[in-house]
Amino acid sequence: MVSWPSPLTLWKPIPAAAARSPFAALRHTPLPGLDPEWSQLVSARTDDGDRGFHVLDTGPALQARGITPTGTILALHGNPTWSYMWRHVLRSSVEQARPGQAWRVIAPDQLDMGFSERLAHPDPPGPHATSYRGMEQRLNDLDGLMDALDVEIDKPLVTLGHDWGGVISLAWAVRHRNLVQAAMSLNTAVDHPHAEPVPTALRAAMTPGVLAGSTVLTDAFLRVTLSLAEGGLEPEVAAAYRAPYVSRLGRGGIGGFVADIPAAAEHPSREALERASSGLQQWEKPTLLVWGPKDPVFRDRYLNDLLERVPHADLHRFEGAGHLVSEDRDIAEVLFTWLQDQFGMTGPPDGTSPPPAEPPTRLHEQLEAMSLSWRRDSPAVVDMTAGPEGATLSWQQLNTQVDTLAAGLHRLGVRRGHRVSLLVQPGNSLTVVLYACLRLGAVAVVADAGLGIRGMTRAVRSARPNWVIGQRPGLVLARAMGWPGTRISMDPLSPRAARALGTVASVQRLLRGDETPALKELAHPEADDPAAILFTSGSTGPAKGVIYTHQRLGALVALLRHHLQVKPGSSLIAGFAPFALLGPAIGATSVTADMSVTKPATLTARAVAEAALTGEATMFFGSPAALRNVVATSAELTEQQRTALGRIRLVLSAGAPVHPDLLDQVAQLFPQAEIHTPYGMTEGLLQADIERKEVHRAMATGQPGVCVGRAVAGVRFALAPLDGLGRPAQQLLDPERAQGTLSELVVSAAHLKAGYDRLWLTDRQSRRDEKDDLLWHRTGDVGHIDEAGRVWIQGRLQHVITTAEGPVGPGVVETPVDALDAVARSAAVGVGPAGTQAIVVVVEPAPGQRLSLGSSPLAQPEVSRAVRAASRQAAVSAVLVVERLPTDIRHNSKIERTALAAWAEQVLAGQKVSAP
Amino acid sequence: MSQEILPPARVLVTGASGLLGRSVAARLADLGYTVTTFQRSSSGLDTVHEVRGSLTDPQAVERAVAGQDAILHMAAKVSVSGRREDFERINIVGTEQLFDAAWGAGVENVLYVSSPSVAHAGSSLVGASAGPADPQRAEGHYARTKAEAELIAQTRGSAGTNVLIMRPHLVWGPGDGQLTKRIIDRARSGRLPILGTGAPLVDTLFIDNAVDAFVAGLRQLPIIAAEQPLSGRRLMVTNGEPRPIGELIAGIAAAGGARQPTLRVPAAVAKTAGLAIEKLWAATGPHADEPPMTKFLAEQLSTAHWFDQRHTREVLDWSPRTSIEQGLQKLGRHVRRTGGVL
Repeated sequence: MVSWPSPLTLWKPIPAAAARSPFAALRHTPLPGLDPEWSQLVSARTDDGDRGFHVLDTGPALQARGITPTGTILALHGNPTWSYMWRHVLRSSVEQARPGQAWRVIAPDQLDMGFSERLAHPDPPGPHATSYRGMEQRLNDLDGLMDALDVEIDKPLVTLGHDWGGVISLAWAVRHRNLVQAAMSLNTAVDHPHAEPVPTALRAAMTPGVLAGSTVLTDAFLRVTLSLAEGGLEPEVAAAYRAPYVSRLGRGGIGGFVADIPAAAEHPSREALERASSGLQQWEKPTLLVWGPKDPVFRDRYLNDLLERVPHADLHRFEGAGHLVSEDRDIAEVLFTWLQDQFGMTGPPDGTSPPPAEPPTRLHEQLEAMSLSWRRDSPAVVDMTAGPEGATLSWQQLNTQVDTLAAGLHRLGVRRGHRVSLLVQPGNSLTVVLYACLRLGAVAVVADAGLGIRGMTRAVRSARPNWVIGQRPGLVLARAMGWPGTRISMDPLSPRAARALGTVASVQRLLRGDETPALKELAHPEADDPAAILFTSGSTGPAKGVIYTHQRLGALVALLRHHLQVKPGSSLIAGFAPFALLGPAIGATSVTADMSVTKPATLTARAVAEAALTGEATMFFGSPAALRNVVATSAELTEQQRTALGRIRLVLSAGAPVHPDLLDQVAQLFPQAEIHTPYGMTEGLLQADIERKEVHRAMATGQPGVCVGRAVAGVRFALAPLDGLGRPAQQLLDPERAQGTLSELVVSAAHLKAGYDRLWLTDRQSRRDEKDDLLWHRTGDVGHIDEAGRVWIQGRLQHVITTAEGPVGPGVVETPVDALDAVARSAAVGVGPAGTQAIVVVVEPAPGQRLSLGSSPLAQPEVSRAVRAASRQAAVSAVLVVERLPTDIRHNSKIERTALAAWAEQVLAGQKVSAP
Repeated sequence: MSQEILPPARVLVTGASGLLGRSVAARLADLGYTVTTFQRSSSGLDTVHEVRGSLTDPQAVERAVAGQDAILHMAAKVSVSGRREDFERINIVGTEQLFDAAWGAGVENVLYVSSPSVAHAGSSLVGASAGPADPQRAEGHYARTKAEAELIAQTRGSAGTNVLIMRPHLVWGPGDGQLTKRIIDRARSGRLPILGTGAPLVDTLFIDNAVDAFVAGLRQLPIIAAEQPLSGRRLMVTNGEPRPIGELIAGIAAAGGARQPTLRVPAAVAKTAGLAIEKLWAATGPHADEPPMTKFLAEQLSTAHWFDQRHTREVLDWSPRTSIEQGLQKLGRHVRRTGGVL
C-alpha cells in the first residue's frame, strides 16, 4: 500500500499563470507529430473574466492552402492529457482536406490543463475547494472559446471527446443541440450506473487525503494514465504528454478534474452531469463511439450505458486497444470515414443483394408446417450421442418444446432484440434453445469453444449478451471470466449451485411450463431483425462478430433447400454436430451421429451407418477430418451397415477442400452418393460448390490452386485483381474480364452477412464496393476464375507472396508439394521486401520421414529438388523442414503463416532461432 | 538523342585477363563490336585488338582509350589480402586516370564494374537494392578501394560522362578460378566447411548471365545515363534466385564431382578464426595464396545476401537465360569433359 504525503501538511498554494505556447515554453522537449502552425493562444470570456487558452486549430493551415473548411470538429481532451492527444486527427484533417470536403479541427487545452492558463489554488482539490473548475464552468468556457474563435456556425459542427473531455463534449453537444450536427467520442462515461462502485483504478485516486497526493503533489495519476497505452508510448511521445505537467504548479487542474467526478448525489457537478446524461436520451443526431475495450476505468459497462442512451450510435470497438485508444489505433481513419459518410457529397454506398434463388423462408416455417402435417409424429431430431437408441423428438414435440421454451423465456424477461449467448453443446437441447430464441426474436450469440477461452471471452464481451444459456462448464467459465449477461442453466440446479453460478432459471424447468397464450400474441420477428451473431475464426486478428438477420438466414435456408433438393422425408446425418441445427429450418430430419461433438475426427464409419439406419438418412454432412476417419474405420462395417450407407445420395464436406484421393475413397463407401465440397465463409456460408467428378475434371486442366466449383444459385462473383505488391484493385471486375488473373474473390448474395457487430469501420470497409449497385463482400481469399466459370482458391490475401515476377498465392506451391509422399503438409511463405520476395516452402515430414539436413532446418538436397520440381508454377528459393507446422487453435488445418514467415526470414538471414 | 551503343562501335575492355573480362570481350567481338582489350598479360583472344599495359601507366592508358566509343572498366586488384598501397594504386588511382584519359580522348561512355562489397557492412541483405558506396563502412582494402573508385565513377557520371555502375554478385561457372574452383578443390580434399546452418539466402550470378548483362549494360548505357537518376545508374546484377548458401555450395561441389561437404563450423567460430587468420597472414606475409578464411568471408557465408532485381532487369532490358539449375548442369558437363573447372 502506498502512503501518500498528507496534503494538509504538504500543500502549498498554487499561483495563477498565463497560457503559454508549448513551442515557446519547451526548449528541450520535442513534440513529435505536432505542427507549430496549428498552435495558438486565444483569450476567451468565461464565467470569471477573460482567460487564456492554448488551442490547436487547423483553420489557419487550411486557409494557407487555400481551402475553405466545410465543417468544424471541436475536440476535447480528458484528464490528465492535453490537446496533443489529437495530433493524428489534426494532421489527417490537413492532409485529407480537399476543396468541398475539409474539416477544421479545433482542439483546445481545457483551462488549468495543457498549456492553457493556470488558476490560483490556495487549497488542495476536494469537495470544498472552490478554485477548481467544475463541469458547468467548463461548458461555459467552451461557449466563450467558440465565440472567440470565429467558428462558422452555418457549416456542420461536430464534437469529439475522450475521457472527461468525452462527457463535456457530449454535454456541450446536448446543450447546443441545434448547432451541433454530430457527436463523436472515444472512451468516456456520461453516467455512473447505480449501485455500481466507481472503478477501482479511479477510486484510489478519488479518496480524500489521497487525491491531492496522487494527482497534484506527485505525478502518479499522470504516469498511470500514460502507462495505459497498449504496447507503451515512444519515450518522446510520453515526454510530450508529460510536458505541461512536469511541475506541481502545473498539475492543479489534474486534481481538480478528479475531484469533479460527481460520484455522490450531492456533488456540485451532479446536476450538470445528469442534464447531459438524460439529454443524451433525446439526442437524435448522428453519433460515433470509438472504443478501446482494454480500459481499466471506462469498461464495457459504460459503453453499454452510452448505447442504451443513444441506441442509434455507430460503434467501432478496437479489440486489443485500451484507454488511450487514439495512441493504440488509427482513429483518424474511422473518424473521417464516418464524417464523410454523414456529410460527404456521396454518402455511404447502399447497394442491395441480388435476388435470392428462392424466396427466403421464415426460419420456423418448415418446423411449423411439419408439426401440422401427417408427418408430425415422425422424428425431427435424433441425437445418437444420447445412447444406442438415440434421443428423439418428433416434429410436433420439437415444435411444442420450442414454443414452450420461447414462452418461458419471455416470461423470464427475454425480449425481442435481446442477445442470448449459447454455451450449450450441440444436441437436441441446443436445437430447442436456438429455435426458441429465433421465435422470440432474441439474437443467438454463438461463440464456439474453438476460439479458446481468451478468444471466447473477447467474443462474448464484444457481443454483450443480455442472457447466457449454458450447461455447467459454460456457466462456470462465464462466471469465472465475468462474462456479461443474466445466466440460465440448461438443467435444474440446486439452490446452492444456482447461487454459486449466479443463474436465475433453468431451461428444463421453463420447458415444464405452459405454452401460454402470451406467445400467440407475440409477433414473429421482422425480416430485418437480427437473428444470430456468429464469429469468424480469428485466424487473422481477433474474431469478428458477424450479424445475420432473419431475412438473410431465411435466404440461406431457401438456398439450402433448393441446392440440396430437400424433399419431405429427407433426412441428414450431422457428422459435424452443428449441422444438426439446420434440419428443422430446411425441413429435414437431422440425426447427430454418435461422436464426440467437439472432436469431429472421432466419427467412425459404424456411427454414420447406425445413424443412417436409425434416421433413414439420405444425406451425410461431415468435415474433412470426419471423412478421413470414416474412411479409415470403414473395415469395421457389417453388411447391413454398408447397405445403409449405400442408400445415402448426397455427401457434403464443409470446411477445407478435400484431396481428390480421399473423395474417391469416400465414393467407394457411398456408392450412390454425389460428393460435394462447398465453399463459403462465416460471412456467407455457401458460395460455390463442386462435385467429386468435377474435381477430377478441373484438376486435369493443371490450373494453379484448388478448384471449389462454380457459384451456386443466386451468388455472384466478382474479382479484384492483385497488383505487384499483392494489393487488390479498388475496382471490381466481372470474372470474364479478369479470367485467370490472380485476384481477391468478392461475392454478392442474398444470404451474405448483414454486417459486422460493433465494428463500424470494418463493416464500412467490407461494403465499400458499389459495382452494379450491389452489396459485395470481400472474402479475403485469393484465386482466379477460369473460362468455364470455375473458382480456384490459392490462399488468403494476407498470405500472398509478392515475388519480382508478380504475386503468388501460397496454394499454387502448397497443393503440388502436399501431394509428395514424403510430405505431410507444407506452407509457402514469402521472405524479403514486398514486391521482391523469395518463396520459401516449409514442410512437415510425413510420419517416419526424416527430411532435414542434420540439425539444420534446411531440407536435404533431394527433398529440395523434389519440392522445386513439384512447384512448377513458382520458383522456390529455399526449402525448410519443421517437425510440426504451427497451426491456429480453432482450425487445426489453418497454418500460422505469418509467424512462420517471420521465423523463415530469421533462419534464412543466418540468425540462430529455435523451431517456430 | 541518346541511343543504344550497337556494333560495330569501338569498345575498350580493361581487365580482359580475368574470366569475366575475357568472356565479355570475346562475346562483344562475336557480336560485331570493334573490341580493344587492355591488361598486363595477354588475353589470349584473337578476335580483339590488344593493348598491353598497366592501369598505373598513364601513357599506356591513353593509348588504349584513344578513339573508343565506350569503355568497359573491369580491371582491378581483386583479393581478400594484400598490401593497402597496391589496392589504392590500381583501384583508386587507376580508375581516376582512366576517367581522365577518357575525358581527354572524348570517350563519352564508361561502364564501371564494381562490387557489392562497396555498400556492404557485414549485416544481412534481404531483398536489398543497390545502396550508395560507402568507403567508411566497407571492410578490407579491396572493398574500401572499390568503394572509393565507385564514388569517382559516380562523380564523373554527373560531370559530363555517361556512366553506368554494375555490381555483379558472386559470379560462378565453368572457367571461374575464384569461387567455383576453390569450392570444388576444397570439397574434393574434404576441407570445405559449411558455416552455421548453411541456411542464409545468397544470390549469385552464373557466368553466362553475367556476360549477357554486361553486353546489355553497354548497349543501353547512354539511355540509362540519360533517363535514370544517380541512384538508378547503380545496378546489382544477380540471377535473382536466392538460395541457401549451403545448398549452393553443395550443388557446386556435386557438379565438380566432389563429395557433399560434411564439415560444419559454427558461424561465430569462423568469424573469430577468420579475423585471427587474417592478422596472422598480414603479419607473416607476403603470401602467394589467399588466406583460407577471413572475417569478411565468414560473414559473407553466414549472413543473407540477396537483392531486388526489378530495377536492374527493367533498365537493362535483360533477364538471366541460365537458371541456377541449368548452370550447375553446365558446370558438371564442363568438369566431366575437361577434368577441372578452368
